[in-house]
Amino acid sequence: MRSLWLAAGRLALIPGTMLALPAWAVNDLAGGPAVNQFNLHPPASAIAEDQQWMHNFMLVICVLIFIVVFGVMFYSIVMHRKSKGARAANFHESTTVEIAWTVVPFIIVILMALPATRVVVAMKDTSSADLTVKATGIQWKWGYDYLKGEGEGIGFLSTLDPAQREMSNAGKPQGDDYLLKVDNPLVVPVDKKVRIITTANDVIHAFYVPSLGIQETALPGFVRDTWFRADKIGTYYGQCSQLCGKEHSYMPIQVKVVSQADYTAWVEGKKKEAKALADDPNKVWELAGLEERGQGVYAANCQVCHQPNGKGGNGVKPLDGSPVVLDPDKLKQIHVVLNGQNAMPPWKQALSDTDIASVITFTKNHWSNATGQLVQPAEVAAARK
Amino acid sequence: MSAVIGPHGTVVDATGHGHDEHHEHHGAPHGWRRWVYATNHKDIGTMYLVFAFTMFMVGGVLALVIRAELFQPGLQFVNPQLFNQLTTMHGLIMVFGAIMPAFVGFANWMVPLQIGAPDMAFARMNNLSFWLLIPAAVMLVSSFFLPGGAPAAGWTLYAPLTLQMGPSMDSGIFALHILGASSIMGSIIIIVTILNMRAPGMTLMKMPLFCWTWLITACLLIAVMPVLAGAITMTLTDRHFGTKGHETLVDRVVRLEKGKRIAALKNVTINEAMFQVHFSHRPLAPGVLILEAMASTRVVIV
Repeated sequence: MRSLWLAAGRLALIPGTMLALPAWAVNDLAGGPAVNQFNLHPPASAIAEDQQWMHNFMLVICVLIFIVVFGVMFYSIVMHRKSKGARAANFHESTTVEIAWTVVPFIIVILMALPATRVVVAMKDTSSADLTVKATGIQWKWGYDYLKGEGEGIGFLSTLDPAQREMSNAGKPQGDDYLLKVDNPLVVPVDKKVRIITTANDVIHAFYVPSLGIQETALPGFVRDTWFRADKIGTYYGQCSQLCGKEHSYMPIQVKVVSQADYTAWVEGKKKEAKALADDPNKVWELAGLEERGQGVYAANCQVCHQPNGKGGNGVKPLDGSPVVLDPDKLKQIHVVLNGQNAMPPWKQALSDTDIASVITFTKNHWSNATGQLVQPAEVAAARK
Repeated sequence: MSAVIGPHGTVVDATGHGHDEHHEHHGAPHGWRRWVYATNHKDIGTMYLVFAFTMFMVGGVLALVIRAELFQPGLQFVNPQLFNQLTTMHGLIMVFGAIMPAFVGFANWMVPLQIGAPDMAFARMNNLSFWLLIPAAVMLVSSFFLPGGAPAAGWTLYAPLTLQMGPSMDSGIFALHILGASSIMGSIIIIVTILNMRAPGMTLMKMPLFCWTWLITACLLIAVMPVLAGAITMTLTDRHFGTKGHETLVDRVVRLEKGKRIAALKNVTINEAMFQVHFSHRPLAPGVLILEAMASTRVVIV
């Protein structure tokens, strides 16, 4: 019975695939959008499958009602038209009819609501999760922190691949995963209940992965949650689905579902990485070291708005020759980077002291700026207070 | 000698017109005065419809630019910030500039005709309701030309994104205040007209559905427009006067040392199912609720 509903939905795919649009040389992306996709994403969790079933169920009911209502209407209009000699019936009201056309739709609504309520209640039940991950919406990236379960303590940022961001500006999109690829995907084990806790750093975002059947708003000052249990190994894509500013379209979500063994190996790898990367906050850096580090930080975080040549544009202030950057008082620029101003978001949570110190040093000594100034991580740490 | 006394005590002849009286008090005004000083429902209705059509074209152009940009993947015509401005303004202009005035225009035209009333109630306020739309629309549309461009927070204007917008957000808020005032006045007029000025024999149960729908819509507008006004005023004060209207998620601050320490209270209702999660006989706040209360409190400490 259930497969009938699913098949009904898939039947609709046939006319869809017959539409031939000019080829942009793309192929279906597994776990993401398909070429000429007509239907919902192929489900990768039981809840997503339920959602698809519900959708087809409601659609079929609506089509049947449509056929009945418009069929009767068109039949009456055509077969009982005045030029054919039809004469209007002469009656005013019928309480029986009024009761019937209230009760029958009411029953239909209840019949639709029963399975829907079951699914919604299941979607809300986030208890007994095997793994809990906090997804923080930041302008404009996601931060994932593994809070409970295997992998506890791992945390990282997940940003759109910068090359793809450039492609967007150039108007030359490429690749089947255009604007969906990130540097650090969220990795979870297959067949385990994963609870996603959403919150935000600055403005309202939303965490949305259609293949897994989840969507939850991420609000600053709120802690919300949702859950999924992935059925199949694979990579599933999603996007931020609440307008959050300039780069709202450029903060995708990539969820890599792997086998339990692969997941354990990944957790090991991540923990080793974290140990190696831990920066000594009191280290005194040399100019060359800071500049090199800063270049990487700039490319990953700043150049989207301030441009690789530091000239900004479209309302974004230039850094090349900027009075704040060239100012002998380093605190001015540290303050702007930590706390943001106007459309520039604050970076105090997204970047470490060493990252901020290095990127400020980089801007102060790059392009036509040659202040020779050095900012040490300890100075940034002091400015945070 | 007999004399026929005409209006204002002047001497008139048999035709009823004063010799040297001009026809100022008879006949409707002409030219621009007809429209600026309008008081009849047909002229005011026409003005609403012409205004709505114009705003429909403006909002439509914004939609066409959006469609041109979305036709192919990648950015071709606009940068992302301008794109967000287009979507926001398309929404605001269409809803507040095209749809609402168009329906009010239909109401002005149709309601008196359908209920047998000579005109709408409060004819001059009706006129003011319309003419307020013009400066509001100018403020809304010209916000594209303010530094930073038009508001780009989505037509739902959610905080905190609205806090990041430039001066056009304030101009948009002001425009919405005026549009709201116009809507409230128009709704009062419609309710009074429908309830008070029906021709004898036109009972409410005989009234056409259009009038019924407008009666209900007008009541809804009077209820909801002040709420919108309150929300956008909160946005305005949050943006400029450091209020936390859109961010106050705690109920009382008990102790505050700005930037250092804070103790606050957050009220919750005891009968929520979440409290029985751990022990059914002992209601206990779950960890996430405590975290959320902490997250909400941190907003106040700065």
